[in-house]
Amino acid sequence: MRFLAALGAAVLAALASIGRFSMFIAHTFARAVRRPFYAAAFGKALLQIGFFSLPVVGLTALFTGGALALQIYAGGSRFSAEAVVPQIVAIGVVRELGPVLVGLMVAARVTSSIAAELATMKVTEQIDALHTLSTDPMQYLTVPRVFAATLVVPLLVAVGDTIGIFGGYLISTLRLDFNPASYLQNTVDFLEMRDIISSLVKGAVFGTIAALVGCYYGLNSDRGAIGVGVATKGAVVAASVLILAANFVLTEAFFST
Amino acid sequence: MISVTDLHLSFGQNAVLRGVDLEIAQGESLVIIGGSGSGKSVLIKTILGLLTPDEGQVTINGTPRTAAFMSSIGMLFQGAALFDSLPVWQNVAFRDLRGPKRQDARAHAVKVLAEVGLGPDVADKYPGELSGGMQKRVGLARAIAADPDVLFFDEPTTGLDPMMAGVINALIRRVATDRGATAITITHDMASMHAIADRVAMIHEGRIHWQGTLAELETSDDPHLRQFTSGGADGPIQPHW
Repeated sequence: MRFLAALGAAVLAALASIGRFSMFIAHTFARAVRRPFYAAAFGKALLQIGFFSLPVVGLTALFTGGALALQIYAGGSRFSAEAVVPQIVAIGVVRELGPVLVGLMVAARVTSSIAAELATMKVTEQIDALHTLSTDPMQYLTVPRVFAATLVVPLLVAVGDTIGIFGGYLISTLRLDFNPASYLQNTVDFLEMRDIISSLVKGAVFGTIAALVGCYYGLNSDRGAIGVGVATKGAVVAASVLILAANFVLTEAFFST
Repeated sequence: MISVTDLHLSFGQNAVLRGVDLEIAQGESLVIIGGSGSGKSVLIKTILGLLTPDEGQVTINGTPRTAAFMSSIGMLFQGAALFDSLPVWQNVAFRDLRGPKRQDARAHAVKVLAEVGLGPDVADKYPGELSGGMQKRVGLARAIAADPDVLFFDEPTTGLDPMMAGVINALIRRVATDRGATAITITHDMASMHAIADRVAMIHEGRIHWQGTLAELETSDDPHLRQFTSGGADGPIQPHW
């Protein structure tokens, strides 16, 4: 009986959390179409989320592309299918690994940063201060970040895809003796527009999730240093899980036959 | 006139405000005193609309407070609550950064900073580069920058040395008097209370326990008030250990 009560309480708490987050999303989008739009905050968010994420995205994509080429070569050699390395690297990076790894890197770097910053602002009464300055904190803090992430993460994904394919190219040509020209030709020939569009759409969705979750946890954190820590950890975990779940849904939507 | 009527607010099982009634006349400087955890900050945030009461209401000149009220107030927070990511002048002229006044925002900020005794060299610094006293001054400059009708001060001298506390008290008194603004201050600093107040209200156990002028406070024999203002451990108020 006690187990059922605990289970019921947990389910109700989960449903309440989903409801609160859904309301938060609705409030954010309602404000997104309202004035004022904080262009300076938007510009700063573009830099923070996009430009400063480039090194970590580039390195992650480069190493992943290289490792993928090695794995496909090793696996393919069991079936005398080593030649498919360029095609599988391209499809693997563009359809899945590029957007997912960029999404997870953004969750680690950007979601945590947004959640910690906003939670600290709450702890130090800066959110209250915004209210007293006739400024809606969601309009000032959430909307620019969500807009920026939605726009810039697809670009990060495009960069990640390119560098990931380049990582596979480097390993394949320098280590596995592939012909550089035919490797590139195979890559270009095999990729379809649908692959690229799905990659960019995933980037936009993952960026939106990363920023929304960071803002939600930051603005709803408890007081004190522990509250900031809990908000940051919760935001990264929630964003990562939501990104992986969204990835499955989008893959199903784009590629189910 | 700001009127607070039968204000109740609880956080879970903890009833913080239990029926607060208070009137603040236009242009007066009211200081609300009370022990830690007595509900001073909660009261001020409820008056501002940052917290929603469970019962009761706040009216401004007889009508319910609206969103426009925020454009007529300024607030100095306990920790100054400056925006870390913005330089000092943007903190001070925050309301002017958008709209028709943005061209003159920096010049306006420098002028207001001078009013609180800070030079133009401070304008381009970030809050993290300033001492606690300077941050309080910048917070005060931000509070008065839009020439508000009502000023709120939350523990304005907490964490400051006595000299800096005296400077902040004098500044608060001056800006409130010079501008004819209504000032509502919460503090447990008795020196600050004497320097700022026209009238004093004491909050205890979620209600206004006593209110009167400074002269009335000096002659009051209310045991709660006497214990609190004299700082004694013995008396009807039981400290929360």
